[in-house]
Amino acid sequence: MGFSLSKSGRVFWSSAVLARKALFSWFSPSLWLMQLFTISLFQIAFFVYVTKYVNNPDVSVTYVAVGNALQSVAYVSVFSVSNITSEEKWQGTLTPILATPANRFSLFVGRAMFEVFNGILTVAIAFFYAAVIFGVDFSNTDIVALMLVVLVTSFAMTGFGLMISSLGLYLRTAMVIANIFLFIGLLFCGVNFPVSYLPSWLQPVSHAIPMTYGTDAARAAVSGSSVFDISSLLLQELAVGIAALVVGYILFIVFENVARRKGTMEEF
Amino acid sequence: MWSSFKHQALIFLADPQWIIPNIIAPFVLTLVALLLFRNMTGPVVLYAVLGGGMMGMWGNTLYSSAYSIESDRWNGTMESVLASPSPLIWIVAGRTMWNALIGIINAIFIFIIAEVAFQAPISIADPVLFFLALFLTLLSLSALGLVFCSFFVLTRSGRVLTNGLEFPIYVGTGTMFPIALLPFWTHPLSLSLGPTWGIDAMRYAAIEGYAGLETGFAGDVLIMLALTGVYLAISIWLFVVMEKRARRDATLGRF
Repeated sequence: MGFSLSKSGRVFWSSAVLARKALFSWFSPSLWLMQLFTISLFQIAFFVYVTKYVNNPDVSVTYVAVGNALQSVAYVSVFSVSNITSEEKWQGTLTPILATPANRFSLFVGRAMFEVFNGILTVAIAFFYAAVIFGVDFSNTDIVALMLVVLVTSFAMTGFGLMISSLGLYLRTAMVIANIFLFIGLLFCGVNFPVSYLPSWLQPVSHAIPMTYGTDAARAAVSGSSVFDISSLLLQELAVGIAALVVGYILFIVFENVARRKGTMEEF
Repeated sequence: MWSSFKHQALIFLADPQWIIPNIIAPFVLTLVALLLFRNMTGPVVLYAVLGGGMMGMWGNTLYSSAYSIESDRWNGTMESVLASPSPLIWIVAGRTMWNALIGIINAIFIFIIAEVAFQAPISIADPVLFFLALFLTLLSLSALGLVFCSFFVLTRSGRVLTNGLEFPIYVGTGTMFPIALLPFWTHPLSLSLGPTWGIDAMRYAAIEGYAGLETGFAGDVLIMLALTGVYLAISIWLFVVMEKRARRDATLGRF
């Protein structure tokens, strides 16, 4: 068991290192930085100005800026992670990878780990914009609680992204579905308006996405709630993220077996 | 350009799922805006619906600009396309026109949802002027897409750049709010974008008693046409320069 764990750990680490190297082999560091610094800015700006225009009493600029700052994690932890299996397909590397006896869980979770770091950086920059450009008041913020929210959200949403990535093994590409889930959070996760605005039959969808708990926890932390105060939200978010990861792993194994049986591993 | 337009239509029909990545963002953003606008009635809702339609057209145009060159690179057809006697710009223009046109599907969805789910009263004050403004805005968006596309000849990062260009145009052109809300120093940038004038013209034609930019409908249309001409001139020049550079440096199919 110990030996197996060490092998899985090694696969996990080498997979994480390889993912970072692969990213920068086609993506220049300057473009990566440009994306990191611009992607959240205009999304926050868009909703802040819509909010100013509509003057909805339930939704303040702070509400929208904090929600969108946290939601910017989706660009990396949902979109990039969702495309992991599809990109392996496109590059013709999926079959050789799946021919190895490496533990699938370690392999693909390792692939996504750089995106957790990337996601944390993206959200940190977005919160900086919220404070400096959009005038969000962070004077009462419990910084430790907010940092924990960002960390948990980044991990949980990466788990969610990996679940979608498993579908990429079966579908021609996960790009289409990744795009849907990239933006769906704006509608379902209380990013721009309370979840109660949605029809009651749609609200359970909100609670199946980790981001919903993250946005509530982030707003609470910004208004001064401590780690203890938001612990229940964070635990729920983590639980949903882990559940998504487990479902994703099961789907991955199922689709891998289907692809092996039908000979459709790289069908696209 | 016409052949390229038809070719792009056939590619779309062969695999229509690709419209989803292109229009999902504007579609979701409009639904969010409609939910935020829910306590408001009358022309303000139409304001959001028109903005959503414009975003759909831009989303599709922008993605098609990026993928136009990138998909040729991936499919290994880039060199063959450039070896043909037709200038690259007209090939890309045909593709971009088709994709901007397909972006209207998003606008139709938005209209239907606004009517059915939000019971928003959607009526166009002057349909003839509205469709004229819509058509000219479509041309303007396509021309703007061509300017961006010319840069994608040189880079393998078209997809990444595309992600960064979607929201700035939504914000800069005031698709969902008046540009007067933006900081004053950004106004010249907004006014240099043809679609800013296009969406204002559409609002003039659609909303009774709308008071937007001082130029009015006719002024909006004329300025948009002038800007579209400028975009076309810039893109023609850029395509020639970029193509020459890519041939000289032998970097055409590099990815």
